[in-house]
Amino acid sequence: MKPPATLPLPYAAGIGLRAPHYREVLGTLPRLNWVEVHSENFFGGGAPLHTLLKVREHYPVSLHGVGMGLASSTLLHEEHLSALVRLCADVQPAAVSEHLCWNAAVDMVINDLLPFPYTREALMHVANRVDRVQERLGRPLLVENLSSYLSFPHSEMSEGEFLAELTKRTGCGILFDVENLYVNVRNLGVDAEAFISAIPADAVKEYHLAGYSSCDGCLVDTHDHPVYPEVWQLYESVLRQIGPRPTLIEWDSDIPALSVLMGEAIKAQQRLDALEACHAE
Amino acid sequence: MLSDDLAGFARAIVHGESPAVRVDEGYAKYSAQVALEVYRNNYRGNLHDALAGAYPVVKRLVGDDFFRFMARKFITQYPSRNANLHRYGAELAEFVAAFEPAKQLVYLPDVARLEWACHCAYFADDGVVLNLNELEKVAPAAYGDLVLHMHPCCHVLHSNYPITAIWEAHQPGAPEDFRIDLDSGPVDALVSRNNDVVAVTELTPADAAWLLKIQAGTTLGEATAETLDRHPDFDLLRALQMLVAQNVFAGFTLGATA
Repeated sequence: MKPPATLPLPYAAGIGLRAPHYREVLGTLPRLNWVEVHSENFFGGGAPLHTLLKVREHYPVSLHGVGMGLASSTLLHEEHLSALVRLCADVQPAAVSEHLCWNAAVDMVINDLLPFPYTREALMHVANRVDRVQERLGRPLLVENLSSYLSFPHSEMSEGEFLAELTKRTGCGILFDVENLYVNVRNLGVDAEAFISAIPADAVKEYHLAGYSSCDGCLVDTHDHPVYPEVWQLYESVLRQIGPRPTLIEWDSDIPALSVLMGEAIKAQQRLDALEACHAE
Repeated sequence: MLSDDLAGFARAIVHGESPAVRVDEGYAKYSAQVALEVYRNNYRGNLHDALAGAYPVVKRLVGDDFFRFMARKFITQYPSRNANLHRYGAELAEFVAAFEPAKQLVYLPDVARLEWACHCAYFADDGVVLNLNELEKVAPAAYGDLVLHMHPCCHVLHSNYPITAIWEAHQPGAPEDFRIDLDSGPVDALVSRNNDVVAVTELTPADAAWLLKIQAGTTLGEATAETLDRHPDFDLLRALQMLVAQNVFAGFTLGATA
């Protein structure tokens, strides 16, 4: 069955949909504005794809990749890209996103989201790969800012400047993860205001919110907690400066009841609505 | 060079080397060493979780702590090669068979093989399922030359241990009180997928012998004749009906004469 025609993500709060909630969502069809899933979980088709296509009949779906490795020093993984192209054809997603990170070097694959020095060389490399991905997908990609635990003395620009330049060169959009920015502020001393003003507001197409944890003084982007008050505060500030965008609640570890996720989404929705009301005045 | 930086960083994570890449040394609340450990833990943790996801029964059989210990050794021996975590861990059965601390659990490698087949069945492409109407168009005289293709979801496994009983007893919601006799004799298990649910069925020795030949690409005539030699009670029609109902076949070609 063909999914309904693609619509953009609504300027409303959605949730990350993971395996523990598939059955409940399909069984009860709760009021969700939109959902986002990890692309790789549906590569190869099979039973997971059947489930996603059923979900797609009822909700706008965003595909969020964790494995493309846009900055990896190995060749762009064509099989991985083909799987994503095929998934997009099946699902007709409202958005497709990847992270500004790497996951492979030489013969090593590290299934994680890793930072790299923001150099002009890296910019050209990543821009070429984003071009290639967008060419295959036939649509713009959203690229997400990263939470990092390390930084590099030979970076020639900030992450915000890197992203701004990337959007200019490739036409890609930005998925602004507010929690990632907060983690970088606390871990690396990144200047939040500088980041917000560096990225072009028009290119920002989506926000992410999540909870982190702490390990020996380092904040780790574990997606296993509710959104913290400091992150809500930063989100409110981002909303005022950049404007409302589709906003996602992400939760990937120790996943709570669906009602908890929906409660978090309501908190984001209230902030989006408050902004709307403020603008209407 | 970006490629040198990433290679140095990757070796620091995967092989525990000190990083051959310049990183900022001190942060407000922690050192670069702490940050590196976070990345190393993430790397191992993500692979551990991928193994735990693919091998839930093995994990229940050995317990969380032992599984973590075993996974850690496995990860050192088999570093990740694919950005898709669902592909990680194919060699666990092989590894377990040679893993001294698990030697007493003689059935563990076969349980791992069964679980990997289930994991692959879940993620396998839909493919097509054999259309019986197409089969009816084949002239009866040509039946012997039919080569049946197994669906990519399906797999037959042979074990000297009761792996299907062990697998069933460790599924979520299975009764807590079970008795399994490890000496109950060999078992043939069929892994298939029906309505998105992976099923494990026990086959009779005759059905299994026949299906293993089909899995290897033998023609229907040859597979049936060889099976009847050893298992005179083999009932082809009943076996076919049972297997077609479980979507075991994807299609067919007409053997050498086609």
